[in-house]
Amino acid sequence: MDNIEARFNLSFSNFNLDVNIKIPCQGVTAILGHSGSGKTTLLRCIAGLDYVKNGFLSYGGEVWQNEKFLLPTNKRPLGYVFQEAHLFPHLNVLENIGYGLKRTKTLNEVINLDQIIGLLGINGILTRRPEKLSGGEKQRVAIARALAVNPRLLLMDEPLASLDTKLKQEVLPYLQKLHNELKIPILYVTHSPQEVSQLADYLIVMKSGKVLANGPLSETFSKTGLPVYLGDEIGVIIEGIIGEIDTKWNLVRIDFDGGILWVPDNEQMILNQKVRTRIIARDVSIAKKEPEKCSIQNKLSGKIVQILNDQHKGKLLIYVSIGGSVFVSRLTRKASSELALTVDDHVWVQIKSVAIL
Amino acid sequence: MLLDDNDIQTICLTLKLASITTIILLIIGTLLAWWLTHSKRKWKKIINAIVALPLVLPPSVLGFYLLLAMGPNGFVGKITNALGISPLPFTFSGLVVASVLYSLPFMVQPLNNAFESIGKRPLEVAATLRASPLDAFFSVILPMALPGYLTASILTFAHTVGEFGVVLMIGGNIPGKTRVSSVQIYDHVEALEYAAAHRLALVMVIFSFLVLLALYIWNPKSKKE
Amino acid sequence: MFIVFFMLCLLSSSAYAEKITIAAAADLKYAMDKIVKVFKKNHPLEDLEVIFGSSGKIFAQIQQGAPYDLYFAADISYPQELSKNGFASSDVKLYAIGKIVLWSTTHNASKMTLTDLKDTKIKHIAIANPKHAPYGKRAQEALEATKVWNDIKSKIVYGDNIVQTAQFVQSGNADIGIIALSIAMNPELSNQGAHWPIPDNLHKPLEQAYIITKRAANNKLARKFADFMETTPAREIMIKYGFVLPKERDQTKNPGKK
Repeated sequence: MDNIEARFNLSFSNFNLDVNIKIPCQGVTAILGHSGSGKTTLLRCIAGLDYVKNGFLSYGGEVWQNEKFLLPTNKRPLGYVFQEAHLFPHLNVLENIGYGLKRTKTLNEVINLDQIIGLLGINGILTRRPEKLSGGEKQRVAIARALAVNPRLLLMDEPLASLDTKLKQEVLPYLQKLHNELKIPILYVTHSPQEVSQLADYLIVMKSGKVLANGPLSETFSKTGLPVYLGDEIGVIIEGIIGEIDTKWNLVRIDFDGGILWVPDNEQMILNQKVRTRIIARDVSIAKKEPEKCSIQNKLSGKIVQILNDQHKGKLLIYVSIGGSVFVSRLTRKASSELALTVDDHVWVQIKSVAIL
Repeated sequence: MLLDDNDIQTICLTLKLASITTIILLIIGTLLAWWLTHSKRKWKKIINAIVALPLVLPPSVLGFYLLLAMGPNGFVGKITNALGISPLPFTFSGLVVASVLYSLPFMVQPLNNAFESIGKRPLEVAATLRASPLDAFFSVILPMALPGYLTASILTFAHTVGEFGVVLMIGGNIPGKTRVSSVQIYDHVEALEYAAAHRLALVMVIFSFLVLLALYIWNPKSKKE
Repeated sequence: MFIVFFMLCLLSSSAYAEKITIAAAADLKYAMDKIVKVFKKNHPLEDLEVIFGSSGKIFAQIQQGAPYDLYFAADISYPQELSKNGFASSDVKLYAIGKIVLWSTTHNASKMTLTDLKDTKIKHIAIANPKHAPYGKRAQEALEATKVWNDIKSKIVYGDNIVQTAQFVQSGNADIGIIALSIAMNPELSNQGAHWPIPDNLHKPLEQAYIITKRAANNKLARKFADFMETTPAREIMIKYGFVLPKERDQTKNPGKK
C-alpha cells in the first residue's frame, strides 16, 4: 500500500509543528484536533501552501519536498477544499469548475466531469454566479472544482466548519458519497469527532503541533491518551450490517463482530446495508452479572482489557473487548471500586443509546 | 469654433500625457502595490510613506526638486547623461516621468486596497487548481481587482490632466511639447484673456465630469449595492 | 503647547493697528526686500509685508478685491488700466526702468550677443512667458529685432515669471536665459554667471510704475512708503540692482503708451 510520508519540524515562540507520519494513500484520513493543534498547518504543508524548511514529503514514493527541492503547489496532483468555498466571483459555477480542469494536463479520468456534477448534485446551478448560491451550494461547487483537476489526493480543510448545522446536514451526505464512490485518498481536517466518526477510515489526532495517535479509526478512537483529550465525546465506532428490520417494534438489528445491537429504525435502512454507529462512553454501563429485567435492550458480555483515568478525577474509563470490537465505558471511581473491577474480569455492558451515523 | 488650434493642441497633448502616464503607472503601480500588499518586510512602511508623499508635497516643491534632480547637475540628470539620453526637463518624456511620480499614489493606493481586500487566499486556491502564480494573477487577481484598477486608472488619468504646478516647473511651457491645458488656461488668465480661459476650462470641466460619471456608472462595485 | 501657539498667532495678528501689504512684480524680489528692510529700520513700529507675483496676476487679484495697498508693476500698462477703472487712489507713478540681460551659468554670457543663441551647442533658452510677463515680452521683441527669433523659437522654454526663468538657468536646465538685470545683480546669481546687457534700442522700454490702491486711499503708512521710494536710500538700492530711475523727483505721469 502506498503511503504519504510527511516530516515537518518547525518551532516558533507561540507555535510549533513536529510531525513525522505515514498516511495511507487510501480512504479518508481525518486529522482531528483543536484550533492551534497544527492540523491545518500540516495540511497546508502537504499542499505546499506553507513551507517548512528542511521538511520532507513524499506521495507514494514520489518526492514532493526535501532539503533541496520543493514541488510548487500548482505542480502537485492534488485537490484542495478550503474552509470557505472561495469560488472565483467573476466566474459562474461551470467556469469555476472548469478553471482547474483547463489547466490539468493529466487526464487519466479517474472521474469525469459529469460524474462529479452528478455526485455533488449541482446540475441545476451550473450557470449561476457564486453570489447567487447558498452556503451549502458554494461548498459543493468548491468540492466539485477540486475534484475536476483529477487529483490523486484530495485535501479538505474543515469544509463544513463555515456552515450552520442545517447546511452541514445538506453537504455531509455528499461527502459520504465521495467516500463511498471515489478511489481518491482524502485528508480531512476537522475539529469535530462527529464528522470523523461519520467519514473517516483512518484517524490522526493532533495536539500542540504533535501527532498524539495515528491509525485505523476505531482503534485510534479508543487508544491510550486519547480519551482524556476527547473529553465528553469519548466513545467508539462500531461498524456492522443490518441483519433484520423489525417492522412491528420499529427496530433494526445491527450485526457486528462480537454481537448484535438493536436500534430504532430511522426508516432509511436496507437489509444487509453497511452501517456505522457511535457509542459514547457515558452511555455504557457495566455489571458483573447478567442484568435481568432491565429497560436497556442492548447488553453484551466481554472482558475488561484496560482501565484508564479519565479527565475527571472521580471517573475512570473501562475498556471492554467484545468479540473483535472494543467498547468504552465511563464510570465513577466509586462505582468501579464497589464492583471491584480489574483487567481481565468478565463483565456485562449495557448500552443506553446507539447513534447510527 | 469654441477653441482655437492652440487650445486643441494643448488638449491633445494633455490627453496624450495622461494616457501614457496611466499606462506606465498601470505597470509600475501593479508591481509596487503587489509588493506593498504581500511583502512582510518592516521597511515597507517607509516605502508606503514615500509613495504617499506626492499627496502632501506642494506640486511646485515637487516640481522644483525634479527640476534640480533632472538637470545636468542632478543625480537623475547624471544618469540620463551617462546613458546618452538628453536631459529630461523641457521635454515630453520629462513630463511623463514627473507625472508618473506625481500621480503614483493615485494608482498605488487604490490597487493596494484592492489587493489587500482580495488577500492571499484566491492565489492559493488558484495554485491548488494548477495555476502558476503569473497565470493566477491574470486569470483571478486581475478580474477580481478590476473595480480597483478602474478607480486607480481614472484617478491617475484625471489627476494627470489636472496637473499644473509640476508641469509649470519643469515643462518650460513649450507649445506642442510641454504646454498642457492646465498651463494654457493659466496663461490665458495671466494674459487677461478670460474668455479663452473660460472656454478651455469649460471643456476640461465637461470632460472630467464625463469621465467621472462613466466611472460611477461602469464601476461594478457600485452596481452591486 | 499647540493651543498656546495658536493663541499667539491670534494675538500677533491683532497687536498692530495699521498694516499694509505691498504687491510687487517678481523682478523687484531682491531690491524690494532690501528697501523694506531699510524702511523698517527707520520706522520700527510700522508693519508691512510684501508679496511677489507676476504683474498680470496681481492686476487680476486687485480687480477681484485683493487686500493690497500698493502695487508695484513691472509694466506701466497694468496700473494704468487699474487707474482707468477706478481701482487706484493715486496717480500712476513711474518708479524705474527695467533692463534685460543675457545670463548663463554654463557659458560666459558677458562675451555673447543675441545672435550667438543660434549656436547648436545651446539647446534651451529660457525667457519669461511673453504672453503675460513684461520681461518676456521685451525679450521676445529684442530677439525679433535681432532677427534670430524664428531660428531659435524651437529652443525657447518659458518661465512663468522672471524669477522662475532665472531658476531654469540657475539649475543648468536651460543653457542661457534672458532675465531682468535686477535679478542677475543679486549676489547669489551674479556669483554663478556673468551677464550681457541687451541694448535698450532693441525693445520697447520696460517702464515700471506703481499706484496706491483705492482701499488704501486714507492709509498714511501706504503714502509714507510710497514717499520713501523717492528718498535717496531707496533709490540707491534700486540703482544697485540695475534699475534706471526717473531723474526728477516729480517726474510722475505716464509717458502715455498704449
